[in-house]
Amino acid sequence: MSRSSNLDNVAPDDIIVTPKPKSINPTKTTISPTPPSSSVNSAYRQKINEILGHTKHPFSAFLAHPKVFSFKEKDDQEVILLVLRQHWFTNVGWIVIAVLMALAPLLLRFIPLLASFPLNYQFISVLFWYLITITFIFERFLSWYFNVYIITDERVVDIDFNNLLDKKFSEAKISMIQDITSRVSGLSQTILNYGTVYIQTASEVPEIQFEKVPNPEKVILVLQQLRQEEEQEALEGRVR
Amino acid sequence: MLPFTNYLLLAFKFFFVLGAVLYFIFSIVIVKQTTTMSQNVSDKFNPFLIAFSYLHLLFAFSLIILTLIIL
Repeated sequence: MSRSSNLDNVAPDDIIVTPKPKSINPTKTTISPTPPSSSVNSAYRQKINEILGHTKHPFSAFLAHPKVFSFKEKDDQEVILLVLRQHWFTNVGWIVIAVLMALAPLLLRFIPLLASFPLNYQFISVLFWYLITITFIFERFLSWYFNVYIITDERVVDIDFNNLLDKKFSEAKISMIQDITSRVSGLSQTILNYGTVYIQTASEVPEIQFEKVPNPEKVILVLQQLRQEEEQEALEGRVR
Repeated sequence: MLPFTNYLLLAFKFFFVLGAVLYFIFSIVIVKQTTTMSQNVSDKFNPFLIAFSYLHLLFAFSLIILTLIIL
């Protein structure tokens, strides 16, 4: 037989079926699947609960185990452990501007800019100004409120809304996390204990940043626990 | 009143009405934005935020009417 015809007969993609040897001993041996080590799992969760504690204030920037919170891309089985927003102190800048904007019409008593206009025009101008102020406050609040960083039992998620036409969704599985770094710099961050957590990942998104979040050291501890839990699950072959 | 002043006030009225209309369009965008954000991230206060955005839309519409009536 030539070599080429031989190769045609035994194609590499063909499935080679080897006949099963007839069982000599008919005793049935069943290998039970590895029982889920729920005690190990719960130990990790217990530690996470101890680290996080509880948050009562719904407007908190550090929402531990939120009951109501959810997001569109969440899986049914996924458990949200922590929701982070930027620290409240990051809002001080725009709040000061908003207060100044609200008080600005009072200056018209001292600096009569609109004095040459009729009263009805002055009234509408002030009304316009206050509506613009309200919009400014509302937009800034929405931007703070909806830009969230989420830690679930399976992944870390970063949801950013810059405006109506720009939504950025980044996620990385816990098992893909390689390095976690935090940076607390400056007077306000040191005093009020907030900073940026950098999460290096092996996934498509190389880095996820949790910017100016409260208690960065707690965030790191939680992620460490979750990583250990994931490693344990991988060892036991319980990866979801 | 001088005719020049009348023309000036008319021009101002035009700009105010135009501004109010643009503001109304912008407030529609805000409603849409709030609804979209709420669909993506749902939390306890989302219904209040949506309600506020609609209230704001109502104010913006009132501004157009008020500008047309008062000026």
